Amino acid sequence: MPLTLAIHPITEIHFAERLRLDGTILFVDIDELRRLVLEDSAIESVDFQIARPGESCRAGPVFDIVEPRAKAPGGSPDWPGILSAPETAGHGTTHVLEGAAATVLREQSPGEARGATGYVLEMSGEAAADSCYAKLQHLIVVIRTRDDLAVHARQRAYRLAQMKVAVHLARAALDAIPEKTQVFDIAGGEDRAALPRVAYVGQIFSRQRKPEPEEQIIYGADTDGMVPTLLHPNEWLDGAIATSYHTSIGGAETYFYQNNPVVVELYRRHQAREINFVGTVATIASADNFDRERNCHYAANLVKWALRADAAVLTKFGGGVPHTDLSETARLLECSGIKTAVQVTDLARDHRVESALLFNFPEVDAIVCIGGNSTHWRLPAVQRVIAANSGLAELLAGPFEIESHNVIGVANQQGASRLRSMVY
Amino acid sequence: MRIVHYLNQFFGGLGGEEKAGALLEARDGAVGPGKLLEQLLGAEARVVLTLVCGDNYALENQESMIESALEKAREANAELLVAGPCFLAGRYGMAAGALCAAVQSKIGIPVITGMARENPGADLYRESLFIIDSGDNAAKMREVLTKMAQLAEKLIRNESIGFPKDEGYIPRGLIRDQFVEKTAAERLVDMVLAKAKGEPFESEMSPTTFRPVQMPPGLKDLRKAKLMLITDGGLVPKGNPDKIQGSAATRWGSYSIKNCDDLKGEDYEISHGGYDAQYVRQDPDRLVPLDVMRELEQEGVIGELCDEFISTSGLANPLSNTRRMGREMAEQAKRLGIDAIILTST
Amino acid sequence: MQVTSALPIAKMVGANRLVLGNGIVHVVGDARASAEEEKKVRRQLVEKALEALRAED
Repeated sequence: MPLTLAIHPITEIHFAERLRLDGTILFVDIDELRRLVLEDSAIESVDFQIARPGESCRAGPVFDIVEPRAKAPGGSPDWPGILSAPETAGHGTTHVLEGAAATVLREQSPGEARGATGYVLEMSGEAAADSCYAKLQHLIVVIRTRDDLAVHARQRAYRLAQMKVAVHLARAALDAIPEKTQVFDIAGGEDRAALPRVAYVGQIFSRQRKPEPEEQIIYGADTDGMVPTLLHPNEWLDGAIATSYHTSIGGAETYFYQNNPVVVELYRRHQAREINFVGTVATIASADNFDRERNCHYAANLVKWALRADAAVLTKFGGGVPHTDLSETARLLECSGIKTAVQVTDLARDHRVESALLFNFPEVDAIVCIGGNSTHWRLPAVQRVIAANSGLAELLAGPFEIESHNVIGVANQQGASRLRSMVY
Repeated sequence: MRIVHYLNQFFGGLGGEEKAGALLEARDGAVGPGKLLEQLLGAEARVVLTLVCGDNYALENQESMIESALEKAREANAELLVAGPCFLAGRYGMAAGALCAAVQSKIGIPVITGMARENPGADLYRESLFIIDSGDNAAKMREVLTKMAQLAEKLIRNESIGFPKDEGYIPRGLIRDQFVEKTAAERLVDMVLAKAKGEPFESEMSPTTFRPVQMPPGLKDLRKAKLMLITDGGLVPKGNPDKIQGSAATRWGSYSIKNCDDLKGEDYEISHGGYDAQYVRQDPDRLVPLDVMRELEQEGVIGELCDEFISTSGLANPLSNTRRMGREMAEQAKRLGIDAIILTST
Repeated sequence: MQVTSALPIAKMVGANRLVLGNGIVHVVGDARASAEEEKKVRRQLVEKALEALRAED
């Protein structure tokens, strides 16, 4: 099932009458976009703004970031289960506007552990220097939903609008010649027989909370009742998974499912003939011990018996409880002879190694720790704040202190982070 | 630079084990290894005072010895305190560590010491101090003093201190973040491949061990026992009167359930961000099982249920908080004559 | 003793007397059951907790 990405780099975005791609400049027809977004009666009004790298600009709270991509006819559909029927994602040609992003903001701060500002998109300054998203050209979509909506209906409206906008933008590239193409294909296992068979196990949700009604995560379905599931790597890259409405500490955005860093890296090694990339498992973190045992065994069994892997890398979605599922799955894999490496965040609020982990399994000894607890910035006042209302704009105006967990694109748990916990 | 140097009876030239009871004495100028220390720190540096104390005396009179040493260090206008190096000498290491910690917090000048990793003083003080890893061989004195001097200079100049393998100190068990070149995904794949091929790899974090807690003997007769309920699920009276934080809580509260045999949702709220609290809000007995405990009390299965329950939030709570709170709660329970505790956790 | 759904964590820090709770969101309850059923579940869990308090090792 090969997937071809046709890459069209974008260096600028401007508003214009017609949607078109001129070299690396994208012209966006916001009247048409507005019409598309307002097809959903849940949405009262929508505004579009452009945020460029290096600008003294801040936007938030961010709901999700999606890379504009559109399927060429003849392959799998755009966002199966959300915009299209839920057919298998991951084959045919997908046109990618590389360097661009369709970013949707929330109208309310997420509160609880994410704090008043939620995830902040910072386009310049120290914090931006370490964020993956500060280098992109963002079309910021500021949606105002009807007052009478339940929270989940609001978020569903955001999701739908975001996917529509992201696809619409990328359709400008359908007839353009891409700068380069990349083919993703895990065929060729036969001539990699002597190489280590490597799998990826990625959590996409944590049951510390129930999914929202009709929350669209996997092929448009929520994860209620989901058991660990085999996915072809291309399904991650091509629209099978969207991020949960609930934010994961440090961040998990749909952008890094489309550009899944672990899948992309494993593909790179596969193509370089260093490994045999045998497949992936999408899993969930559990609500109780029974659920945990069930899911961890299930996931480990898929890796062992269906993928017949020699090694696996694991990432999590969320904080402490998912940490336990992650380590338990890794332990089970190690016990069955499969070598693992796990990615954790630093759980210590007191900067002590003793508090950093919630597990102590001698076999789970290959740990990537992306830290996050000792990195923070004082964000300055900026010239432009993009937010859904004046209350939020005031909150985000700055200056204020912010932790790396809350600057989107820094402490990302999907594998994109360059942070590392150093023990001293 | 004015240096005060602490030595034990042996390095201070008093004698061996037979002099371990020697009282704290102060000598002008450098003594023994202090002379080498002066040289290593350069022309501007002078050991203005050397404090010598017997290892046994230091251990048995730690508080008063330190008080006295602090006074002398202040009088000498010390700008740097150096202790040891102690190598494997355990009592010496504990005294040196305690003195350095006291000077650091009470006088606020830079402090430096050296000892072997296995020195019990290292275990106790490595988190709060920079302790140069001296190994156990006193013949390496020059090498060790050189590292101590180099690190001391950085501390005095307030320069940022590098990692243990660069500076030579015993890992303090602390964490700080750094941005590195490779993404987490790249590091993950590198690591798993090395592991799969049996090649060496460096894990970014190590699992830690907790010292086992001794289990007290079981209750002999439940019917005579006084029990108490404690929770870390963040259940607090409406209004959160003690303002217990939802995350990294530093406080806990004790709340009356006198004459109450059922917790009502409208009387309570949850201060805890880490779980979906809707079910507990509907019926707090789902977290703190008061209704059942009252039944058991009335039936005589248990002797008595304490009139209060204790609560805090366990979310993202560092051990430095929870260890202290646990101890405080235990003290409270002892004061109330509690025989056993049921702790319910989310 | 401790009633919790996160057994691995409790074991790791060295808790000696442990009883498995009924899920993170209702550790000594069951929101899915009827009020009567739920009371039974709670009672059973608490009785197990009392057993644990009597255990010698």
